[in-house]
Amino acid sequence: MKIIILGAGQVGSSVAESLVSESNEINVVDTDVGLLRQLQDRLDLRTVVGNAALPSVLRQAGAEDADLLIAVTQSDQTNLCACRTAETLFKIPTKIARLRSSDYTQHPELLDNKNFCVDFSICPEQIVTDYLLKLIEYPEALQVLKFAEGLVSLVAARTVPGGPLVGKPVSDLRQHLPQIDARIAAIYRRDQPIVPEGDTLIEAGDEVFYLAATRDIRRVMSELRHRDQPTRRILIAGGGNIGSRLAGAAQDRYQVKLIELDELRAKGLGATLDRTLVLHGDATDEKLLAAENIDEMDFFLALTNDDENNIMAALLAKSLGARRVLALINRRAYADLLQADRIDIAISPAQISIGSLLAHVRRGDVAAVHSLRRGAAEALEFVVHGDRSTSKVVGRRICELDLPRGATIGAVVRGPSPDTPGAPLGQVLIAHGDTLIEPEDHVIIFIAHKELVPKVERYFQVGLAFF
Amino acid sequence: MFSPDLINEARIGCGLEIASKKRLLEMLADLLAGDHPRLHTESIFERLLERERLGSTGLGHGIALPHARIREVTQVQGAFVKTASGVDYDAADGEPVDLAFALLVPEAANEEHLRLLAHLASLFSDPSIRAQLREADSPAALLRVLNSR
Repeated sequence: MKIIILGAGQVGSSVAESLVSESNEINVVDTDVGLLRQLQDRLDLRTVVGNAALPSVLRQAGAEDADLLIAVTQSDQTNLCACRTAETLFKIPTKIARLRSSDYTQHPELLDNKNFCVDFSICPEQIVTDYLLKLIEYPEALQVLKFAEGLVSLVAARTVPGGPLVGKPVSDLRQHLPQIDARIAAIYRRDQPIVPEGDTLIEAGDEVFYLAATRDIRRVMSELRHRDQPTRRILIAGGGNIGSRLAGAAQDRYQVKLIELDELRAKGLGATLDRTLVLHGDATDEKLLAAENIDEMDFFLALTNDDENNIMAALLAKSLGARRVLALINRRAYADLLQADRIDIAISPAQISIGSLLAHVRRGDVAAVHSLRRGAAEALEFVVHGDRSTSKVVGRRICELDLPRGATIGAVVRGPSPDTPGAPLGQVLIAHGDTLIEPEDHVIIFIAHKELVPKVERYFQVGLAFF
Repeated sequence: MFSPDLINEARIGCGLEIASKKRLLEMLADLLAGDHPRLHTESIFERLLERERLGSTGLGHGIALPHARIREVTQVQGAFVKTASGVDYDAADGEPVDLAFALLVPEAANEEHLRLLAHLASLFSDPSIRAQLREADSPAALLRVLNSR
């Protein structure tokens, strides 16, 4: 695929990085020569220096031949203008814009084809905030990801000694929870993936990925580890874009405190976040944390824009007795060092938001993608089309499919009826060997190795005879 | 032999300088829209792209058969393009495509359309036909080869 990325900042460069290794031709546009040079030194891509909204710059970046435009500059206005230009002058088929201001997204008509021609808008800060909210809601989980309009969730959790299913084979899940259907899609043991079979024994310390109807995920979790207390008190370090959004979204349901270093910013936040206690101070200050009763906190989230500060603050909070700590970490090497060690959860914002872009890069009708295990694994939601003769998937039972080892179908979601396209999805079918796949089903598949993705994409494609 | 309604010289492009799948589909959409009263390049392009997204129509050996259903036509319409050099088409064999036959069929696609697709696939599976198409230097010459079987 020929892809133009506008903006070489944090979002643009991490998007470039995750797309470049695949069979894509990538062109990155930015006004900052230094940023572009850094990218080019590391990655096999082309760059153009210039204003991303200018027709001549877009042309130079290969707009006439591009399949996809990803406009992720810092400026919403530049991104919008670039999408409009790309449509009018170059007919780029798919245009994605990063829009931070909710002003625009509140008026979807502005983004339609008569106006700014944005096919999909993304707000990475909002995606990260939603992700964090799920972790607050499910304190036992490492990750909770939504598929099929939220009907199905993929949950990652670490098993602990004494969990009812620990020491038992995977197939026992059904006997333990006869009234609930769930599927263990992958197990990571000491960071290595294990393809789960019915007789695979679950060990304490395993990172287990399972799929279940969203309403059932707590019940399944209780098989892997004892129920933690629900989250009540939260302390957020950093009142930037993500920290302030999260406080705003969480303050009605939880007791939220927020520490912001910048005095003016802290004052401003204090005025807008009416149910959050906003404090001015340094989250790596031991005395401040102690004074704010860090040992009574259910969840401490270090969300400043400084990796080192986040790591230090989270380590400190943990040692001072916070029940669970999380650090936002942009540098991948740091995140790799830390997870599962002394910081409970280390997350990379780029990794979390990349899935929403990957859904448009993957071949086939892909409704959702989540990048997992720092990009090493992926979970995809395919919408299948055709019939037994034009598809390798439709009209077959899951046990008949010839998918590569390491690709596991976890769930199938079926619409109410084929006569009402557009109607909301209805039935969640947890995958079993005899599950029959019907046209227009949403099939959710876990892929343990990213290298297998192209094979799986091909497998789900319709054949030539599909009209 | 194809009927002139299906394919004719006006809807054939020969030796076009095209560098991408996107431009190739755009060119085919343009030829298909031609002087048709109800067809527009944009909507054909969109339909062809949508279909490609579900699965590449690259047959292998440098051939592609992009196709789509479209409300505006009552009978099958075709267009053919030979590019000056191959474009990356995400075909099954990974080979770049330089010969593309596009088809638009009415919404109610039927057996006849499948037979036409099968006929085209078998025509292009013949190495000598492919060689003759690559040698042809004008729309008229390309049409003669297409009609030779």
